[in-house]
Amino acid sequence: MKTITNYIFSALTLIILSLSVNAQTKQAAFKVPAYEKFTLPNGLTVYLMEQHEVPVISISAILPAGAIYDGTRSGLASLTASGLQYGTKNYSKTKIEEELDFIGASLNTYASKESAGLSSKFASKDIDKVLPILKEILVDPIFDKDEFEKERKRVLTNLDQAKQSPRNVINSYWDKFIYGSHVYGNSLTGSQATVSKFSIDDLKNFYSSNYSPKGSAIAIAGDFNSKDMRARLETLFGSWKANGSAQANLAAQAVPAPSSTRILLVNKEDARETTFLIGGLGIRRDNPDFVAIEVVNTVFGGRFTSWLNDELRVNSGLTYGANSRFTPLKNSGTFAMSTFTANKTTEATIDKALQVLDSLHEKGFSDKTLASAKNYVKGQFPPRYETAGQLAGLLTQMFWYGFDESFINNFEKNVDGLTAQKSKEIINKYFPKDKLQFVVIGKSEEIRKIAEKYGTVVTKEIKADGF
Amino acid sequence: MFAQTKADDVKTFTLKNGMKFLVLEDISIPNANMYLFYKVGSRNEYPGITGLSHFFEHMMFNGAKKYGPKMFDQTMEFNGGANNAYTTQNVTVYTNWFPVSAMETIFDLEADRISSLSIDPKMVESERGVVLSERSTSLENSPWSMLGDALNATAFQEHPYHWTVIGYENDIKNWTKEDLEKYFKTYYAPNNCVVVVSGNVKVDNVKQLAEKYLANIPKGPEPKAVHLVEPPQTGERRVTVQKEVPTPYMMIGYHTPEAKHKDYYALSILSSIFSNGNSSRLYSSLVDKKQLATSVFTDFSESFDPNLFQFYMESAENVKEADLENAVYEEIEKIKKDGISAQELQKIKNQKLMEFYSQLETINGKSNNIGTYEVFFGDYRKMFDAPAEYSKVTAADVKRVANEYFKKSNRTVGILKTNVED
Repeated sequence: MKTITNYIFSALTLIILSLSVNAQTKQAAFKVPAYEKFTLPNGLTVYLMEQHEVPVISISAILPAGAIYDGTRSGLASLTASGLQYGTKNYSKTKIEEELDFIGASLNTYASKESAGLSSKFASKDIDKVLPILKEILVDPIFDKDEFEKERKRVLTNLDQAKQSPRNVINSYWDKFIYGSHVYGNSLTGSQATVSKFSIDDLKNFYSSNYSPKGSAIAIAGDFNSKDMRARLETLFGSWKANGSAQANLAAQAVPAPSSTRILLVNKEDARETTFLIGGLGIRRDNPDFVAIEVVNTVFGGRFTSWLNDELRVNSGLTYGANSRFTPLKNSGTFAMSTFTANKTTEATIDKALQVLDSLHEKGFSDKTLASAKNYVKGQFPPRYETAGQLAGLLTQMFWYGFDESFINNFEKNVDGLTAQKSKEIINKYFPKDKLQFVVIGKSEEIRKIAEKYGTVVTKEIKADGF
Repeated sequence: MFAQTKADDVKTFTLKNGMKFLVLEDISIPNANMYLFYKVGSRNEYPGITGLSHFFEHMMFNGAKKYGPKMFDQTMEFNGGANNAYTTQNVTVYTNWFPVSAMETIFDLEADRISSLSIDPKMVESERGVVLSERSTSLENSPWSMLGDALNATAFQEHPYHWTVIGYENDIKNWTKEDLEKYFKTYYAPNNCVVVVSGNVKVDNVKQLAEKYLANIPKGPEPKAVHLVEPPQTGERRVTVQKEVPTPYMMIGYHTPEAKHKDYYALSILSSIFSNGNSSRLYSSLVDKKQLATSVFTDFSESFDPNLFQFYMESAENVKEADLENAVYEEIEKIKKDGISAQELQKIKNQKLMEFYSQLETINGKSNNIGTYEVFFGDYRKMFDAPAEYSKVTAADVKRVANEYFKKSNRTVGILKTNVED
């Protein structure tokens, strides 16, 4: 492959949640299709968007039940989200799987750092079969103990397996290293020490404290009639009771900025290459410069011809790919340059990445560079909101991060309005220059001396439990 | 009510140099794409130049006559476009995604590199480093790639599916500019390429641009056919690979036919029966009931030449390898003996229909699938016939293909684990 698309750019999807109407000046305007939004008396927010291109319906739900509520039981949000499918009041786990598999319907329940989610896709003719199942999964899960024990065993094995791949685990080390004791530092997957201690009651308690119609949204996009769908949802979800106690806003606490350069070196004995992230704190999702930052990052590390990829891959052949990304959350975020290289070229690659970051601060953007980035960001935008599933996901993201129509309508204007002067300000304000943070996974014996060149090194063994 | 795509919506034309175009208009977003399928992959290589198809894929971005080094990507991105490419055992595919306003630029860029690629020795050297890093990062991050390489090398002893797509490390370090030039002349002729364009375009406009930019590139001689045929396997083969892993990884491959073979659809259904969803035979038995594996999946993909039907298992902890392996055979034997139920068959047919809808949901899905059917099955119309082809498959067909191909003598078993000395 020319580039590992899902690796290099997956991190960008978070930041590219911004969306656009009129993304193209010369084409028929790209518009987010019309949708309807309402709130049920119990507080559940509902979005409906009709899309009739294929006879399929996509559903996306979002709930305030992410890993930030794990407390000391790291991994609990994730297991609770999978646990929704262990059976419900009227459907056993096997029955759910057989019914949905038979009609080719997909169903995922998952947790992320801040929220939990459900996504499902099915043929529109099967709506009467699928909706009652989805309703029970969200509202009446029973958390079967035997199924939980089986899943726990798989999760414990997966935790070890994931450590075989630096790419799979580096972000967990990164978040822990940057956020420290803040709830954003908690790893979604948990560790052997935490997951092995859960009981089924922990899942039940987590569910009853955090799954509630209030603070949650469900978005449905696809081939249906809105009036009919609204009636169905009112019947199905109207009786879902909001839980009594309000959630504490655990993520609101400020994340302290790093006071010095620090390096976390994670030793992997059999590593043939070094995988690393360098960066620091980034931005919140509601940052007013969100779109401008995306354009600037496109030049620096957000596309194939970006300065990072050009220098580290194209000019020097040190790596297969290098990129940079902002990962914004509701209350904080991080920024990181990311790449990997053979053990023996570790030093040259880290040095080059730092040089490129320096050059970002020293050199401004030419008009041509800026024009190119603007065209690129606008041109690559519409395919992100092409399918019913993508649109349903977009609606729940709008709900979660609270971006509104004005933000949507101003996307193109914000891209076009970025001047060379403003891009300079964006770089100064949001791209770290010093007190950089490093997470480096590789063979310590060969790269420890190199790591020490950049600052204080803390070492961990990749085989050690947790992050 | 449904603006659903039909075979007749795909318009085709062929330039005088033999380059075939498939065009599908779709106004849902103001974007378009262009997928170029070259019928060359690692099956066209030989020892000494293994990995060259894939390396060539990289070199196609490194400069031609009009657009020099770096200019292909710079020009495309300046115009709002992005690209990628991939190489398989069978084909090399170049993908461009762009706002439709950039279409003429895309034609100009493609025409330049197809007609007059320049192979700059400096770019060859730096690209070797990129590809060695690509090879290494895949081995570093996935035990499957290491095990899969060993399995193919064992199951194929004469046919070129024996070696990996990325190639041998020492071939990557040693092929020459002359090897690359010869490869370009042999395989990058317009008549060895199928182009698919989908999106907010007009067929007439695509045709006009194709004539203007691509029609004058001379036709090349037909590349020599791959004459190596894998002899029938006459006994079980086993291969072990050492890598430090928490639990063993296991693959089992059975020789099965190419995409155009009559058994393709029944085998594809069988693959879904085994592993699609938690109610599938293998997930339900190995992962859920017996808890011998943490995950299981199967793969049966389209291929020019007969290839492998593969099973992949990640072992659960403290499980004997033989128990896991035998549990797979037990499920295979059940189907060989008792076949599958009508309900199961209907389930897979329903799933196949949903897959078909998914392929039509995006312009990228449309181009990729239309091109794949044209190249592998000989006609893009087969994509639209697929739901009907799957409908025709009977439970007896599935039982028959299970008996025909899933024989002990026809299988290769690969195990990757920490301790290989016991």
